[in-house]
Amino acid sequence: MFDDRSPIYRQIADRIKADVVSGALKADEQVMSTNQYASYYRINPATAAKAFQQLVDEQVLYKKRGIGMFVSAQARDMLRAQGRETFFGEVVDPMVAEALAIGIPLADVIRRIEQHENNGGV
Amino acid sequence: MRVDVQGLTVRYGDVTAIDDMSFSLSGNKIYGLLGRNGSGKTSLMSALAGYRRPSGSVQLDGLPVFENAAATRQVCLVRHTADAADKGDKVSHVLAYGAAWRDTWDNDYALELAELFKIGLKTKVGELSLGQRSALGVVIGLASRSPLTMLDESHLGMDTPTRYAFYDALLHDFMENPRTIIISTHLIEELASLLEEVLIIDGGRLVLQEEADVLRSRGTEVTGNASDVDDFTLGLTVLSEKSLGRTKAAMVYGTLDDEQLVRARRLGLELGPIALQDLFVHLTDTVGGKR
Amino acid sequence: MKTFRLLTASLTTFSAMVAGGAFAFVVALTFVVSVFRDVEISAWNVVASQIGPWFLLFMGVYAIHTMLPIAVAHGRTRREFLVAASGFSVVLALVMTAVEWLGFLAEGGIYSLMDWRADEHSTQLTYLLMYLVWIAVGMLCAAAFDRFGAGGTFVLPVALALVVVTRVQVPGSGNLPFIDGIPDVHGPEWHVLLAVSFVAALAGTWAIARDMPIRTRT
Repeated sequence: MFDDRSPIYRQIADRIKADVVSGALKADEQVMSTNQYASYYRINPATAAKAFQQLVDEQVLYKKRGIGMFVSAQARDMLRAQGRETFFGEVVDPMVAEALAIGIPLADVIRRIEQHENNGGV
Repeated sequence: MRVDVQGLTVRYGDVTAIDDMSFSLSGNKIYGLLGRNGSGKTSLMSALAGYRRPSGSVQLDGLPVFENAAATRQVCLVRHTADAADKGDKVSHVLAYGAAWRDTWDNDYALELAELFKIGLKTKVGELSLGQRSALGVVIGLASRSPLTMLDESHLGMDTPTRYAFYDALLHDFMENPRTIIISTHLIEELASLLEEVLIIDGGRLVLQEEADVLRSRGTEVTGNASDVDDFTLGLTVLSEKSLGRTKAAMVYGTLDDEQLVRARRLGLELGPIALQDLFVHLTDTVGGKR
Repeated sequence: MKTFRLLTASLTTFSAMVAGGAFAFVVALTFVVSVFRDVEISAWNVVASQIGPWFLLFMGVYAIHTMLPIAVAHGRTRREFLVAASGFSVVLALVMTAVEWLGFLAEGGIYSLMDWRADEHSTQLTYLLMYLVWIAVGMLCAAAFDRFGAGGTFVLPVALALVVVTRVQVPGSGNLPFIDGIPDVHGPEWHVLLAVSFVAALAGTWAIARDMPIRTRT
């Protein structure tokens, strides 16, 4: 379930962020408790708590004392903005490098992208 | 429960199993005690449980453990079930000892676990398979609800579904009844995500004590052109190296700072994480690796 | 107290049941024997004086070898266990003496009914002291072998000396080879000697088991 390489709490935090970005977790929606996460993923509860703490620090989640953790209102916009910042460096540049390495002309790549746009962005 | 070990030495005749070991566990965590065969895991746990008189000091919540009822009441070590049972005894009898002798024993939970692991109450301990006997040990350990619960190689002989049932039960019970749990194991990969803190021992000495997540981020595999890798790793702790043609991969131990990360990128080196299990292998490899 | 109760309740009941079974068996055996020849000895005395002590030795071994590690594994100290085991040895000896007495009573009834002859047997105090010594010697041997392994052999001559002394004046306890008639202790001194043997065996057990490591067993 976890690759046991990068810290598990970071993998969990990334997963929750992905759910927020995709809309699976909505603003002000309660996320599962530390213990529920720990049981579900079979991890130490302290690790799950660490992931949550990181997300609170990054203002993705907020804590309601005695109730639990909730997705903050600005979380999705914030994460989307962060994603836009790193998108070209982390997604497009490696893709271009790969295309060149295996001999796909960039024009073909651009044509493909335009097809997506014509199909309504899918 | 807090555990303090100071200058602990365990000898069997000429053999030194634990060599002047000192550490503290702040408690209420799941600790992994990792070590190769004969590294002293069982000896260490036996001393922590007051199974033998320590040379040096072993204190639980500030109380010396050996022959101290106030401390031993709080401890449960399961090495083999043979410690807590006679092979001729029925399982129900073994559980009855726990119920009679332990103030913290939860008998309903013991019966529930016995059913989970499919251990017949009327079966004699000697007739159980190795995996079932290990499972019975887990039942005794978890149902004891001891503030210090130690499970020594409790996965021995368990098949995969049983091991997962064990991990789930362990985690669930730990969350319901937080306490200090120490598990010794070789199956690091499987158990790694359950551990909060890790102690690695080798040759009777403590190699390191670290938060599992921190430890996981400590090791880096550096791959690239052999001479660049050599340049980069100069002055770093290299656990192992291997080369393939002009490519070389080195396992580096220690956190890399930003400057080093930039330099690696400039040299075109690939940095990858190391699994806890590989890290363990190299930290305890006295045969070929560099320390 | 918990340790004492658990130890005593289970093992004493078990021992009394074994003794009851043994009684039924020897009575049946006596009837069988009576078909072929005249009954001239007390069959129950063979159990009470010869088999019984060995059984009690075994119970002593069981207490230390098996029960002590279990008690420690469940968070009891050795000291707590040894206190319990000492009390247990006295209770067990008392109960077994009572069983022995009841056995002779019942056997006496049967013998007189059948007009059989029984040989002499000893006093309750003697049986009690003999049983005490044998239980304690069992504990002593178990402690020595568990603690010192093969090195525990040193305890055997001591154990032999301690149990031999119990046999001197018990009729029907078997003729002791080589040492027959040598000890010249009779009457009350002999009882004192038995009591001292018991205390010595118990003290030896304490000394050895007091900080004994609990080893792994396979």
